[in-house]
Amino acid sequence: MNNRTWMSRSIAGTAVMMLGLTLAGCGGGGGDASSRPENELHLAVYGDASNKVEQAMVDKFNKTSDVKVVLDTIPGADYQTKLQTIIDTDSAPDIFFNWGGGSIANFVKADLLLPLDDFIEEDPQLKDAFLPSVFDTAVVDDKSYGVPMRGTQPVMLFNNSEVLKQAGIDAPPATWDELLEDVKKLKAAGVTPIALGGADQWPTQMWFQYVFDRVAGEDLFQTALEGDTSVWDSDESREALGKLRELIDAGAFGTNFDSVKFTDGGSPTLLSSGRAGFELMGSWAYATHLDANPEFAKNALGYSEFPAIEGGEGDPHNLAGNTNNFYSITKDTRYPEEAAEFLKLMYSDEFVQDQIAIGNLPTTTNTEEFLDEAANPEYAKYQFNLVKDAPHFQLSWDQAYPPEATVTIHTAVAQFFSGQIDEDGFIKAMQSL
Amino acid sequence: MTTLATRRRPAPGGSTVSRPARSGASSVGRPGFAWALPATIFFALFALVPLVAVAVLSFTSWSGLGDPEFVGLDNWKTLIADPVMLKSLWLSLLFIALGVVTQTPLSILLGVWAAGNQRNRAVLSAIYFIPLLLSSAAISVLWRALLDPNFGIPGQLSWLFGDGNLLGTQTGAIGVLIFVGMWQFTPFHTLIYQGAAKGIPHVLYQAAAIDGAGMVRQFFSITLPQLRNTAITSIILMVVGGLTTFETVLILTNGGPGTDTTITAFYMYQQAFRSFDFGVGSAIALVLVIVATAISLVVVKVSGYDKMNSSLEGL
Repeated sequence: MNNRTWMSRSIAGTAVMMLGLTLAGCGGGGGDASSRPENELHLAVYGDASNKVEQAMVDKFNKTSDVKVVLDTIPGADYQTKLQTIIDTDSAPDIFFNWGGGSIANFVKADLLLPLDDFIEEDPQLKDAFLPSVFDTAVVDDKSYGVPMRGTQPVMLFNNSEVLKQAGIDAPPATWDELLEDVKKLKAAGVTPIALGGADQWPTQMWFQYVFDRVAGEDLFQTALEGDTSVWDSDESREALGKLRELIDAGAFGTNFDSVKFTDGGSPTLLSSGRAGFELMGSWAYATHLDANPEFAKNALGYSEFPAIEGGEGDPHNLAGNTNNFYSITKDTRYPEEAAEFLKLMYSDEFVQDQIAIGNLPTTTNTEEFLDEAANPEYAKYQFNLVKDAPHFQLSWDQAYPPEATVTIHTAVAQFFSGQIDEDGFIKAMQSL
Repeated sequence: MTTLATRRRPAPGGSTVSRPARSGASSVGRPGFAWALPATIFFALFALVPLVAVAVLSFTSWSGLGDPEFVGLDNWKTLIADPVMLKSLWLSLLFIALGVVTQTPLSILLGVWAAGNQRNRAVLSAIYFIPLLLSSAAISVLWRALLDPNFGIPGQLSWLFGDGNLLGTQTGAIGVLIFVGMWQFTPFHTLIYQGAAKGIPHVLYQAAAIDGAGMVRQFFSITLPQLRNTAITSIILMVVGGLTTFETVLILTNGGPGTDTTITAFYMYQQAFRSFDFGVGSAIALVLVIVATAISLVVVKVSGYDKMNSSLEGL
């Protein structure tokens, strides 16, 4: 606890970690199937409340299989770091949890993953049983690398319907102009129009994802992601940034959003306590409110799609958020056939029912049949239809890009909102990726 | 019996008793290399080897996948041209300076007070030391919640904090980090000063009292000069601790707003473990090692600590 041991621990600790990584790096790369454990398939997943469904699937699989799946849960916040550290070593998992897109792009580039296309040819259900807009998230260079394995989490505009009523707003805004109008009314009513956990940075990013999609369509981001960063300096990009600036300058988010977090309950409490009218948040916000303030979640929590922007190129039904989580298989696995067999459980009825029971919304085509079993069927159906009908489901920017881009994106969106950088500063930051 | 024994022991060689005694003494021996072995191995394994490994890594490009690729001085060139790196060094120095300036006077006063014999001393000291028992992460999470602009202290005291956007401005965020650092580390330094103040010979104060010196005069003319070496120790600890402050920044401000509280240690973490650029991360780590060593050397030289003069000379 004293400063000196603390100092040496930090420096030595970092150094040791780096050394460990060096050794791991040198030892890795050459792993072949025979050096891996016999009759075991290691399954690495993000450790949280959803693990009980994963465990149930593992148990079900192990009952009939000679090759046993071993579930390794890795505590949430460290997941990506730990995965990146072990994936190129002999202790790499056979099957692992990921977010698709950028979270596996580097692994594909390093030739560490097994394309699933051969398995899909044998059993088309491995692809056809899932909603296409979701399945596509784990397609890299036209090859499929992942199968959806948890729930979808689209971002929606949540509201406190009582606050809206008091401010004279009858329905959630369908267009950008209505949103600006509502901001004025809410300000006049003395509340913060839109709650924003700016200190977490990713909630700020949600506004960019939607406004860019609505104004410029889904292609702008896709083009940028593929390497043509000039699009960030296009007229559409500047128009989108102008819209955001207009909203910020209208006082939509108040003045202290940079000190507010979603993760410690700050911004959701603003909404539930009636001190804010809206919050743009992932579908998990419902569970957050249900946990912290069940009265509010049942009676006053409203939700709607992100408003359309007049004259914009994007389809107003496009979604953004986390499409789903995925299981991918590493190339060095000793038992690829068994691993693929395990993935087939991800479209089984039992899997879907288990996921719905813990509040997740799976993205299989048969999910619809079981939505009445959800805790809030109305909410589950609304969400499911949004995802099913969405022409395009934009994966969150920080997950579409490889992990090394996250800090740059998060800093840029936060600085743009707080006014530390202007349009040019934001464009320059995004072009540096 | 006793006289016999004492007479026999110093007797020079020849007797059967003294010979095994002598060889026994030489087998214990003087300090040799073997004595230093455990510490040397430990130090080499946990400090030197990693340090060399980090130095090597700083000349490579490595994301954790595949093998590190040698890139020569690229990482160092990137760092030198990186405005955030330069800013982070200035911020680190600012944090150290503010930390020393706020914590030193407070812990000297508290330490000297806690060294006295007042009746309430033991109870109050125990309360003051509570932050010392909490982990940095717990302290940061606690203050993060307490400083929520809407539902924390600033929300209740809006006449003082305005809209409560403490962590959204550079001054506010630095102020919060310095304050939390002070809250967390003052007890530790108080403890050091308390021990040192207790060691000051009483005769000095008695002599001063006879000469007519009051409390204040005694404090400045006796206590402070006597605490000189302790102050240097404490300040070096603060400097090194300040340079490696990391978890408070991670949890309280995440380096923000923007990069306004991205100090060097946090920047190292960000580059290595968030951006998976272990080459640049290692280069920053080396810069930290160099800067910390340099500052410590300067403090030791300037203060005359290296001469090891006792503050009790002449007593």
